[in-house]
Amino acid sequence: MFETRDIVRISLFAALIAAMGLFPRLDIPLAGGVPITLQTLGVMLAGALLGPWRGAVSVLLFLLLVAVGAPLLAGGRGGLGVFFGPTAGYLIGWIPGAYVTGWLMQKTWPGNLFLRAYAAALVGGVLVIHAVGFCYLAWKVGMSLRQAAVADFIFVPGDILKALACAYVASIAGGDRLTRLNVPKQPS
Amino acid sequence: MIAPYLTQKTWLHRVGAGHKLLALAVISLGFTQLYDGRGLLVATLAVLAFYLVTIFGHWSRLRLYAPLVPLLIGIGALQAYASGWELAIASIARLVAMILLADLVTATTPMLKMMDALAPVLRPLRRIGVDENQVSLAVALVIRFMPVLLNEWTKRGEAWRARTGRRPPLRLLAPFVADILRLADHVAEALDSRGFSTKRSKD
Amino acid sequence: MTQPGDRNIVLSGVSLARQDRPLFAGLSLDIAELRVGLIGDNGAGKSSLLRLINGLLLPDAGAIVVHGLETKAQRASLPGKVGFIFQNPEHQIVFPTGAEELAFGLRCTGMNSKQADVAARAFLAAHDCADWADTSVGELSDGQKQHLCILAILVMMPSLVLLDEPFSSLDLPSRMKFMKMIAALPQQVIMASHDLDVFANFDRVIWIDGGKIAADGAPAQVIAAYRQRCVDSIGRAP
Repeated sequence: MFETRDIVRISLFAALIAAMGLFPRLDIPLAGGVPITLQTLGVMLAGALLGPWRGAVSVLLFLLLVAVGAPLLAGGRGGLGVFFGPTAGYLIGWIPGAYVTGWLMQKTWPGNLFLRAYAAALVGGVLVIHAVGFCYLAWKVGMSLRQAAVADFIFVPGDILKALACAYVASIAGGDRLTRLNVPKQPS
Repeated sequence: MIAPYLTQKTWLHRVGAGHKLLALAVISLGFTQLYDGRGLLVATLAVLAFYLVTIFGHWSRLRLYAPLVPLLIGIGALQAYASGWELAIASIARLVAMILLADLVTATTPMLKMMDALAPVLRPLRRIGVDENQVSLAVALVIRFMPVLLNEWTKRGEAWRARTGRRPPLRLLAPFVADILRLADHVAEALDSRGFSTKRSKD
Repeated sequence: MTQPGDRNIVLSGVSLARQDRPLFAGLSLDIAELRVGLIGDNGAGKSSLLRLINGLLLPDAGAIVVHGLETKAQRASLPGKVGFIFQNPEHQIVFPTGAEELAFGLRCTGMNSKQADVAARAFLAAHDCADWADTSVGELSDGQKQHLCILAILVMMPSLVLLDEPFSSLDLPSRMKFMKMIAALPQQVIMASHDLDVFANFDRVIWIDGGKIAADGAPAQVIAAYRQRCVDSIGRAP
């Protein structure tokens, strides 16, 4: 199903998501020094640049490694414990999040790369991930959906910024002639 | 960094990974069926004691879960306000117990054993054309290239600092990601030149 | 046609376009020497020629036969016969430890993972690198990484080794060490390099310019001609 190049891209983006958990802090305008983990940005980029399937598999691979105990989540966390916590839904949500981001990128082709990536990352990377995240939170601790949504809302502005960052990076990296990514289906 | 796997052996290290995962699943099911507040609290305290005794002397690993504390307090407060103390304590207790038990499995099981335990789960993927070779290659690639990417990013950040004296901006990420895609092409070429894809076409 | 010890590489009427730009047009070339060097400017076609020989690239027209194997029809058998060393070892090493890196190629040629692991460790030990088996490759120096790449190719027992500017990131001692190592190889070697000194003891040097053969023959003459061209072109520049 996957060519060698697909497998390598999937793996390298999983490695990118992992590396982003350890990046020294970036200077993000507007964030005002609030420490935000970049890993969700990696998830959005995986979807936007690799496409729905490869993007989702890349995230799945990353989460598989976290589950078996690799300390790859921001702050060096890893292991099964994180999947039993109240915020596990956000991690699980990364998989459909990357898928939807990639799917929307393809659906909106052709068009302005920046705007497509921004819209796709907003829906896939923010809406989908947060929806899965707070539904899981509500179910796990027995809150009402409304309460969970209120608690969730604190984190939305930061992720909207990440969607913007994703759009910027994707518009440059994805537009690169050498990487030939700005096309839904590659001929060869 | 605190490695999730505990190198110093405990008795739990000797238990098979599959058994530990099974026990975890059963206990987690048990906890979701336990509604009595007092019962839950006792069970959770028992789990905590079990945890502390098993990894005696390595309690510092609990620091990994420090970021969760304000979150748990927030959830507890919100729930106490909406549905009363008893429910709040019950749901927090449930979470803490499961996190601790899951962490014990991770602390006492090496990654390779865990991957082996997962193999039966991965096998059905064969039907959609993904074989174990591809999965193990992908896992190896992530472990191999994570530090490479981190190092590459740090170098770019240093170059930026040397020129501007400021922290690297997000703008630097775009050429970095473009380079990762090109790196992927080089690596795929190196894999193919050693016969990776041809092997699959023969299968 | 396929006989053991067949050292012939025959390109007949090979055409190839790269990124929609024609590079080779009807290139024909016979290579039978044991040590062959490729020189030329960046983008002249050295890398593409090497990739045609190991089947990573297939010609748009014409045919290439390498040690009795036609690259289009018998592409699957090429990796076992032709080893390829890339410019940047960082791109070539795909596994976290030395033993896994060596075992990978062996598994691709059909060994099971146990056999491959045993063979890889034995090979490392035979080359005085036993302690690399479980070392994280991130801890190796650039020279050691390239050394590991070469071992990972040699363990597959190729009959032809292609090297694409393998030393550009290495210091002088490492270069000298590898040149000595390459000189001692029983395999046929084709190497592209910008460091012209390394070709002194080669049997033949081919200068490629814009996809065509500009000069071909004994190292001294071909290298002298290339140097002269470079000097001339700088002199003419404004």
